[in-house]
Amino acid sequence: MSGSQCARLGGPLVRQLLDSVDSVLFDCDGVIWRGDQAIPGAARVISLLKQRGKKVFFVTNNSTKTRKMYADKLSSLGFDAAEDEVFGTAFCCAAYLRSECGLRGKVYLVGSDAMRQELEAVGIQAVGVGPDPVSGKQLDWASVPLDPEVQAVVVGFDEHFSYMKLNRAMQYLTQKDCLFVGTNRDTRLPLEGGKAVPGTGCLLQAVETAAQRQAQTVGKPSRFMFECVAQRFGLRPERCLMVGDRLDTDILLGSACGLKTLLTLTGVSTAAEAAAHRDSGSAERRAMVPDYYVESIADLLPALQGEDDPSL
Amino acid sequence: MAGAFAFKGCQKIRGAQIRVLLEAKDFFLFDCDGVIWHGENAITGAAKVVNALIRRGKNVVFVTNNSTRPRENYVNKFTRLGFTDVMLDQIFSSSYCSALYLRDVVKVRGQVFVIGCEGLRLELLEAGIPCVEEDDDPDATIYNCALAPDVKAVLVGHDDKLTFLKLAKASCYLRDPECLFLATDNDPWHPLSGGRILPGSGSLTAALEVASGRKATVIGKPSRFMFECISSQFSGIDPAQCLMVGDRLETDMLFGSNCGLDTMLTLTGVSQIEEAQEYRSSDLTTNHSYVPDYVVDTIADFLPAFEEIEEQND
Repeated sequence: MSGSQCARLGGPLVRQLLDSVDSVLFDCDGVIWRGDQAIPGAARVISLLKQRGKKVFFVTNNSTKTRKMYADKLSSLGFDAAEDEVFGTAFCCAAYLRSECGLRGKVYLVGSDAMRQELEAVGIQAVGVGPDPVSGKQLDWASVPLDPEVQAVVVGFDEHFSYMKLNRAMQYLTQKDCLFVGTNRDTRLPLEGGKAVPGTGCLLQAVETAAQRQAQTVGKPSRFMFECVAQRFGLRPERCLMVGDRLDTDILLGSACGLKTLLTLTGVSTAAEAAAHRDSGSAERRAMVPDYYVESIADLLPALQGEDDPSL
Repeated sequence: MAGAFAFKGCQKIRGAQIRVLLEAKDFFLFDCDGVIWHGENAITGAAKVVNALIRRGKNVVFVTNNSTRPRENYVNKFTRLGFTDVMLDQIFSSSYCSALYLRDVVKVRGQVFVIGCEGLRLELLEAGIPCVEEDDDPDATIYNCALAPDVKAVLVGHDDKLTFLKLAKASCYLRDPECLFLATDNDPWHPLSGGRILPGSGSLTAALEVASGRKATVIGKPSRFMFECISSQFSGIDPAQCLMVGDRLETDMLFGSNCGLDTMLTLTGVSQIEEAQEYRSSDLTTNHSYVPDYVVDTIADFLPAFEEIEEQND
């Protein structure tokens, strides 16, 4: 929103903000957990929000887990979360292909088994998952047999990414009517244990460069991630709060969809970066400015626990 | 309409016009794929053209972005395909020039992490540049892999054995701002015979640029460096005496333009004349650098010009 000021969220503002929304959408990594460590206080925040009648959703660009796998991870870290509250890009990408693209049939997938499972769950068969090393000669690779039933190339995070996969994807994409969808453009993927590796954005860029075509991406900041949640739960944008740690995905998504936005500083972006966007002359950059920021979502606890109310 | 100011002609030439050009130039730079051969097949008449140029005392060099073979292999291929007088020192590949860059420009001290094939490694080895050994450790995963010490440069070329792990390692090395980031070339895809294509080094470089947030220094065409290599070897070379002959507007023609050379597009390869014409009528003046001065259907079109020269000499 062009008026967003990135104000420090504290005092009576917290309660005001929480009262003005019915649903809170949380990014995961850098917001409620880091790798496999929950952010202190995060689980309590979610519980209390639910106790106060708020709907809570988890919206992540990570395509390596199914909703079920996310729900399991959330539980194991002490979060009160149900499978249908989780929106990862594996699930959303399958939903996108099915409902927005009307795809029935097969896709060539550069991605995880989790993505394959989510695709199968909506009746789309994915081919290509797993290791695919090169063999034979250059002419063989250029003439790889293409499955005529494949209607789209789908790219998500793939630790088995190889030249051969890049090649197959490119060969399919030389067919003009072959769709091209990517889960997200994040440049880094945080692993459990705290390390980070090159993200899906790199793999997608490799395929886009070779094929000289742009993919449609599903993940934040694409509006589809919000629409996916909103459609299923009847959400009104102005009554939603997006909480994230990345200005160029979480906050930008919030702005694009007319949500209220809250930046937490436990992840990637800094308050200084947000301020720089705010003070720049650019409308594009101003869309990355959150309404508010907190050091950590645990900063919401006093208001949620009623500790900030002097009348109590 | 882009006005009538002096800009590239994109002029198809034949016969006498070619003869005049051949007489005016003494240095011919040829791209290989799509210009003098398609895979294992020489373009009809190409060997005669090259042999004739050499016999007439013209300087002929071959400038290719293909980083997959060492230069010795190219010499063998030339011989196999009927180009009889081509010597090692006439061949400038992006892999050979990458090695020269590391050895002579950067004067690299330390190891180089290479994402590329054997041909690239061999050129580096021959130039005395230590490469990080290709790691066949089956237990190495993205969650746990060893990094080599003292890596001073990452070099990306065509690599059909690319894995995610290599990308991950390269991006770790590139976190050090002192570690150089080089690419043999930026070609997004390479043509093979029969209209087929393969992903090019450019796609791998792009992936690593996204991963590292850094831009690679590109050695190959259209960057000027390969011409600098040629100039070092052929001292006294005068750009005004040169003709760059290629098939790809975005590499060969731009390369020629960047180095102040006259350029000729041959239509036996990647780019179509319509694309050149589109660039020519573009309002963006930077697009004019992609436009060739001259166009031929094939370099075999030089042959009648030689016959004419011979007739004149008789």
